[in-house]
Amino acid sequence: MPGDGFALDWVTVAVTIVVGFAAMGAAFLANAVLAPRRPSVDKATPYESGIRPGPLGWSQFNARYYLFAILFLIFDVEAVFLFPWALVFLQTASYVFYAMLLFIGILFFGVLYAWRKGVLEWR
Amino acid sequence: MNFSLIWPEVLIAALGFIILTVDLVLPRSQERRRNVVTGSIAAAGMLAILVFSIFYLRGRVGVLGADLYLADRFALAFKFMFLGAGIAVVLMSIEYVGSRIRHPGEYYALLVFSVLGAVLLAGAGDLLVAYISLELLSFSLYILVAMSRGDRRSAEASTKYILLGALSSALMLYGISMLYGPSGTTSFRGLAGFLFYNFSPTVAVGFALFVAGLGFKLSVVPFHLWAPDVYEGAPTPVTAHISVLSKAAAFALALRFFIEAGSPTHERWALALAVLAALTMAVGTLTALPQRNIKRLMAYSSIAQVGFVLMGIVANTPLATDAVLLHLAGYAFTNLAAFMAIIALEHRTGNEEIAGFAGLAARAPFAAMVLSAALFSLAGLPFFAGFVTKFYLFTATADAGYIWLVVVAVLGSLISLYYYIMVMKQMYMGTAADGKPLAVSRLTFATLLLLFAGIVAIGIYPAPFAEALESATAVFAPFAGR
Repeated sequence: MPGDGFALDWVTVAVTIVVGFAAMGAAFLANAVLAPRRPSVDKATPYESGIRPGPLGWSQFNARYYLFAILFLIFDVEAVFLFPWALVFLQTASYVFYAMLLFIGILFFGVLYAWRKGVLEWR
Repeated sequence: MNFSLIWPEVLIAALGFIILTVDLVLPRSQERRRNVVTGSIAAAGMLAILVFSIFYLRGRVGVLGADLYLADRFALAFKFMFLGAGIAVVLMSIEYVGSRIRHPGEYYALLVFSVLGAVLLAGAGDLLVAYISLELLSFSLYILVAMSRGDRRSAEASTKYILLGALSSALMLYGISMLYGPSGTTSFRGLAGFLFYNFSPTVAVGFALFVAGLGFKLSVVPFHLWAPDVYEGAPTPVTAHISVLSKAAAFALALRFFIEAGSPTHERWALALAVLAALTMAVGTLTALPQRNIKRLMAYSSIAQVGFVLMGIVANTPLATDAVLLHLAGYAFTNLAAFMAIIALEHRTGNEEIAGFAGLAARAPFAAMVLSAALFSLAGLPFFAGFVTKFYLFTATADAGYIWLVVVAVLGSLISLYYYIMVMKQMYMGTAADGKPLAVSRLTFATLLLLFAGIVAIGIYPAPFAEALESATAVFAPFAGR
C-alpha cells in the first residue's frame, strides 16, 4: 500500500540521515570555531597522560600489559551481567540460576587457563 | 525449556574445554605430542558426537523458548555436515600444525568452538541467537587465521578479517535493531507476518542491512574483498575450514531467514538478491582467471560457488531448497578434497604458486588425481558431485522462472573450466625442477580417499543423499508462498 504513510516513512529515513550528518558536521564546526588553540610540546604527544613517552619511538617497550587489560575486561563484563541477574534470579525459572553458574564457571576456567599458561607472571 | 534437545551442542562445547584442559595438563616441552594428542581428541570427539547425535536425535525434534532455537531435521542435516567437515579439517591439520602452528591445543579447541558456532547457527530461529552464533563462529576464525607461526601474511589477513568482520557485524546489528523496532519481535517466524503487512521503508532498510551483513560472511560480491587476502594468508587448513564451514553455516542461516521470515514478501527482495547472485558469479569467475596463487584461485572460485547457491535462495521453491542443500553437501566434499590435496602438495614443496604445481602428477600421482577430480567437480563435469548438484540447482532455478540467472550461471561454469584446467595442465603436462617422488603420509592418503569417495558417490548415485536432504527441507513445507 504505497500511500501517504509510505512516503512519510521514507521522509523519516531521509531526515534521520540528514540530521545524522548535520549533527556530526556541527560538532566538528563547533570545535573549530570555539576551541582555543595554544599548542605546546606536552599537548602534541600521542598520549596526553602527563608523562612524556620514552627516549625514542623505536626503543623496545613492554607490550604485555594488554593481557591484563583483557583479563580485566572479562571480569568487567561478568559484573555487568551479574547485577541484573542478582535482582531477578529468584523470581525466574531455576535454569536462569544454573545458566549464570555455568557462565561464571567458564570465565573461571579462562582465568585458570591464563594463570597456568603463565600470563599472570610479569617477566 | 527442553534442554535435552541440545545435548549434542553441549557436548561440542564440552569437547572444546576438554581439549584446552588436556593442553594445560601435558608438559609444555612436548609440543609434538601435544599436537597429536589434542588433534586426536578433537577428531575422535567430534566423530563420537556425530554418532551419538544420529542415535540420540532420531525422532527428537522441538523448539527451545519462543522460536529461539529450532532443533529440527534441517538443523540436524547441517549438524552432520559441520561435524563431518570439522573432522576432515582436523585430519588435514595434524601434519600441518606440527610444523607451522605454535599452539596446537588452542588451535583444535578454536576449531571445535567454530564448529559449535556453525551448528548453533543452523538451528537459530531468532535474529539475536543467529547473531551470537555467528559471532562465536567468526571470533574463532579470526584467531585461527592469525595462527601461522611467524608469517606476516597471516597476521595481515587476520587484521583485515577482523576489521571487515566487525563492520559486517555492526551492519547486521543495526539491521536487526531496525527490524525489531517497528515489529517488536526478533523471531524469524514472527517477522514473516509483520513484514508482509507492514513493509515500511524502515523495515526495508533493516532487511537490507541484515542481508548486507550476511553478505559479508558469505562473500557475496560487493562485500567479497576480504576473501582473497584472508584465504591466501590463513594457514591452509583454516582456509579450507572457512571456505566450507563458515560458508555453509552462513547459508544455513540465509536459507532459514529467507524462507521463514521472507517467503511472504518474496517478490520484494527476489530481484535484488538475483542481481547480487549474478554479480557474484560473474565477478568471482572473471577475477579467478588471472590468479597465480592456488589459494587466491580457490578464494575466487568459492565466491563464484556462492553465486550459484544464492540462485537457489532467490528461487525459493521447495525444489530449489533441496538443490541448495545437495549442492552444499557436494561442495563440502569437493572443496575439502581440493584443499587436502593442496595441503599435501604445498606442505611438501613449500610453494603455493600454481606454476609450482608443475609435474606434480608424476611426483605425487594420487594427490594430483584427487585434486583434478575435485577441480572437475567444481567446474561441474559429469561423474563428479559438482555435475549432479549444479544440474539440480540450475533446473530448480530455471523452473522458478529465473532463466536469465541460469544463463549467467552456465556461462560462468564454462569459463571456470578454463582456470581449473590450467592447474591440471601444470600438474600433468608441466615438468618439475626436481623429479623426486613426494611421500604422502598414510593419514593424508586415507583422508584423500574418503573425500574422493564422497565426490564420486554424490556424482554417480546422489539419490540417498537427495532423499536424506529432502526430509530435512520438509520442515519448510508450512511457509507461505511455497
